[in-house]
Amino acid sequence: MIVFNLLAGALLLLTGFLSVYLRNAVHAALALAANFVVMGTVYMVLQARFLGWVQIIVYAGAIMVLFVFVIMLLHAAQAEVGFDPLPWMRPAALAVAAVGFLALAWALGAARAPLAAKASAALLKGGTALALGPELWNTWRYPVLLVAALLLVATVAAVALIRPGKEGA
Amino acid sequence: MLWQLFVTAVKALVLILALLFTFAYITWIMRRGLARFQVRLGPNRVGPAGLLQPIADAVKAIFKEDLTVARADRVLYWLAPLIAFTFALAAFAVIPVGPDGWVVANLDMGVLYVFAVSELAVYGIFLAGWASGSKYPLMGGLRSIAALVGYELALGMAILPVVLMAGSLNLQDIVAWQQTHGYFILWQFPAFLVYFVASLAEMSRTPFDFAEAEQELVAGFHTEYASMKFVSFYIAELLHWITGSALIATLFLGGWAAPFGLPQIPVLWLFLKWAIFIFLVLWIWASWFRTRYDQMIRFAWGVLLPAATVWFLITAYYVAKGGAL
Repeated sequence: MIVFNLLAGALLLLTGFLSVYLRNAVHAALALAANFVVMGTVYMVLQARFLGWVQIIVYAGAIMVLFVFVIMLLHAAQAEVGFDPLPWMRPAALAVAAVGFLALAWALGAARAPLAAKASAALLKGGTALALGPELWNTWRYPVLLVAALLLVATVAAVALIRPGKEGA
Repeated sequence: MLWQLFVTAVKALVLILALLFTFAYITWIMRRGLARFQVRLGPNRVGPAGLLQPIADAVKAIFKEDLTVARADRVLYWLAPLIAFTFALAAFAVIPVGPDGWVVANLDMGVLYVFAVSELAVYGIFLAGWASGSKYPLMGGLRSIAALVGYELALGMAILPVVLMAGSLNLQDIVAWQQTHGYFILWQFPAFLVYFVASLAEMSRTPFDFAEAEQELVAGFHTEYASMKFVSFYIAELLHWITGSALIATLFLGGWAAPFGLPQIPVLWLFLKWAIFIFLVLWIWASWFRTRYDQMIRFAWGVLLPAATVWFLITAYYVAKGGAL
């Protein structure tokens, strides 16, 4: 267990770092995909097994695949180096990052676990689909429906945008 | 705990050896079978009826020169066959070949595992396409991603009614449900049709083998690969065929359970049902044309997905009304 925790933590940090550090966009995307897979295993060990599989299927399987698809399609693997079209962006990004880190540090310091790990594990019931389904469709059904409606609207809008219109296209 | 780990490791080893052996002889079945369909003889010189041909092929592949393209991305060029091979081998782990214990990992969400692994396996294909630094492989890789997004959805939608009726994501439970209530191919024939067509794309077999369409793309994503790296892709590809057929047999044809009240013999019944689908795919392979990939994507989004969704809603209504469960 301790071995897994250490290994997963190290891998998460490493892949997270690599996904920012690597210059080649395909390599970075791949590091991020690896990060998602490790994250999925962490969820599973934390008794949220359904969430773990969904993390791997949706994030590593679908979303990262689309990322890589776009990168490959646009030949955008190599970032342009040496030319900075937005020179004011660097200090601004640094400032935002600093604020973000401070906020994270504050959140970490102020956070109190709502339940001890043992108590929450009992509530999760292994985090299987059988335990999650009733919860999702009874207690949280309106949020679920709202999210579904939002995604549907987004899909319809995306399809409408790429439809060959009357003018041009 | 340690003992359990040991047992699982031994099971996994047996499974891997069995899969690799099956792979070796599926190449023979494939070549002889395709030859029969095309009124040829096929490989028949090495050993009786060409039975030693796979060994000859293996020796030849090992001693071939292993080229690396100058413009290749070194790391990913090496990694891609490894990814494809590993995930192709791993997918079979949750498919039960007999009653309790006759499965490497009896996961409570085995269906999700198969999905996750088969999606990750596609990384091998398109990374190979990209890392080769050559245009035909790149096009093959792009096609495979575009297709993946289309057929994975249809595949998922076609599994959902089965899961809904069986009330479980565990493959052992799905087999048990079929033993008491009858095979899903009877209950869920529309879902079976969608699933079978979509899994032809998943296995990248005719009519959906456009990722390596030899007339247009030389050999698609593995054009620039030779020797054992090529063999890794070849193994991965045929393993998708092997595992996909076993999965259809498990989901829709009762899996390892014996039909008509015949004696339960582990492995045997799954093997026979699996052989039906292996042959069916080979038959389609030998007698059909390859679709254009944009047509396949339109078909996946415009026909398979809506059909599967409608059928899913019908099943959901039926189950909600208290049928079957």
